[in-house]
Amino acid sequence: MSARARGWRRLLPSARWGLISIPYIWLLLFFAIPFLIALKISFAKAAIAMPPYTDVLYWVDGFPVVKLRGENYLYLLGDSLYINAYLSSLKIAVISTTLCLLIGYPMAYAISRLSPAARNIALLLVILPSWTSFLIRIYAWVGILKPNGLINNFLLNLGVIDAPLKLLHTPIAVYIGIVYAYLPFMVLPLYTNLVKHDHRLLEAASDLGAKPWQAFLKVTLPLSKAGIIAGCMLVAIPVVGEFVIPEMLGGPDTLMIGRVLWQEFFNNRDWPVASAVAMIMLGLLIIPIMIFHRSQAKEMEGKLT
Amino acid sequence: MTSAILSTPSPAATSPPGAKPDKRGVDDYLVIDTVRKEFDGFVAVDDVSIKIRQGEIFALLGASGCGKSTLLRCLAGFEKPTSGRIVLAGADVTDLPPYQRPINMMFQSYALFPHMTVEQNVAFGLKQDGVPKDACQKRVDEMLGLVQMNKFAKRKPHQLSGGQQQRVALARSLAKSPKLLLLDEPMGALDKKLRSQMQLELVNIIETLGVTCVMVTHDQEEAMTMANRIAIMEAGRFRQIGSPDEIYEQPNSRYTAEFIGSVNLFEGKIDKDEKDYVTIACPSLPDPIYVAHGVTGFTGMDVAFALRPEKVQISKDEPGEPHNKAHGIIEDIAYFGDHSVYHIRLDRGTKVMCNFVNQQRWASESFTWNDPVWISWGDLEGVVLTS
Repeated sequence: MSARARGWRRLLPSARWGLISIPYIWLLLFFAIPFLIALKISFAKAAIAMPPYTDVLYWVDGFPVVKLRGENYLYLLGDSLYINAYLSSLKIAVISTTLCLLIGYPMAYAISRLSPAARNIALLLVILPSWTSFLIRIYAWVGILKPNGLINNFLLNLGVIDAPLKLLHTPIAVYIGIVYAYLPFMVLPLYTNLVKHDHRLLEAASDLGAKPWQAFLKVTLPLSKAGIIAGCMLVAIPVVGEFVIPEMLGGPDTLMIGRVLWQEFFNNRDWPVASAVAMIMLGLLIIPIMIFHRSQAKEMEGKLT
Repeated sequence: MTSAILSTPSPAATSPPGAKPDKRGVDDYLVIDTVRKEFDGFVAVDDVSIKIRQGEIFALLGASGCGKSTLLRCLAGFEKPTSGRIVLAGADVTDLPPYQRPINMMFQSYALFPHMTVEQNVAFGLKQDGVPKDACQKRVDEMLGLVQMNKFAKRKPHQLSGGQQQRVALARSLAKSPKLLLLDEPMGALDKKLRSQMQLELVNIIETLGVTCVMVTHDQEEAMTMANRIAIMEAGRFRQIGSPDEIYEQPNSRYTAEFIGSVNLFEGKIDKDEKDYVTIACPSLPDPIYVAHGVTGFTGMDVAFALRPEKVQISKDEPGEPHNKAHGIIEDIAYFGDHSVYHIRLDRGTKVMCNFVNQQRWASESFTWNDPVWISWGDLEGVVLTS
């Protein structure tokens, strides 16, 4: 090959760069650019137009002028509805993540102790419901919880209750739906962590005088920290922005930020405020994500040095 | 074969009064009494009994699957014997869970807690016992000093080499001053050079503390180096129990003779059974073997004559003795530097191994392939095996 041809070659991206760039191009097109558009809209003002907001960037005498309006953010911070929605979302996320952890940890622990064959079946049972559409599964809960649904009919037939219980459109229904839908996201990372544990460590703890529950607290629990953090993040982050479950199972008073966002966007057609709501939500979620990453990095550091 | 209890004579009987103080403790410090362990009908440990002296290092030696690890796990409390009792220092521990036994174990590949520092690992057992903080720290420092690991107190296990991890594991298992120390394949994870060094160091530490120790190993060299007594296990039973030299020089069966070291076995029948000598007629040798002591047997009994390779002499000329010699040619030579092993094909076809110490430089060159040679051995050098 001539030097000239090689020179040309150098300008083309190598196979390695080509391969690496695919996910980055994907992220750029479907995450970074939409994010920047939403960020731009959040600084605009609603208008009766197509699109329904004012331009952030316009031309005055041939010069570009950027006009950022902070009023959407000020509006959000000034109105208790939005602050309550954020707080309520965080509360629901924290409670349902805790519930998922309390249910998911024993599940994952039990699965990791099964024989390899039984383990695969148990894992399949955890994942299996996800093969049906998320929406359909939540809709099924409407059928279970509604006044003439499965639970109420069952209890009425048994004679335990005289009138149907109000289950649907209550906070309890929202928690049931969220825990049901997000439990696999807690179980799987915990299982992956717990299945790798060396049972001889528990024997060593027992040998050194630890009762089974002490061995669990001092050995198993600290060693599964990474799994607990991963599981909690995988549950808490999407739950904060959850829309479908509070919409279908919650009452009109179930305030969640995902719902507020939907209403601003579709009902009020106030795109700038909806965008600002989304931006603040993102800001709230970035904090736990960063904590998660830092703990992971710390763990890696500990392993390498 | 039954698993006989090999009782050692009591200290009073062996040491005359006024002799140097005998540091040996009671003979029945640890009593394993007809312990049996079955797994779904498979008998892993088959009614095994043994008494272990205080301060003794006792090795369970056997091939994998012989039941030695199961027996050790029964001692630790991880397995519950199907039947039989385990009595330690006069107290029956058979039904105690591991966390209530005054027994600690150094695990194979150590099982150090990866999320704890060296110090925290060693302190773990003490904290479980509720030892006050100061006393605990003092004991940890003392233990780490014993294994020369003070410098590494703040490290995590994954920051240590295999040998260092082993030291920490030892310190951890000794921290609670156990009445019995269990070692599960203690050198299994170390390379060969480190192994021989650590074997002696480990024995020194154990003997300094005077702790009674039961170890499991499949490595005969390790058992021979470290243990006061060895039990050879096969199929859940003890085949032979004795000191390393007893096991080596007086194997009681073909199995132990072949398991420990290498051996030449000549199958034959007792030809003459006299009070002070026997002769054994072997089809593989031209003349009957002459053994200069009596054996419990009868004329015509099937026996095996076991002869260690280092007891066999090799010479170019026919030895002068009237018996215990044979002629053959050198078929193979394995050169080890310090000694050579000659594989000699006897005239009747049997192969015999013969060790030759290369005492002079180039001594190994005096014999070469296909040389006709004579082998010979002393009247007392072999062992007659009846089982």
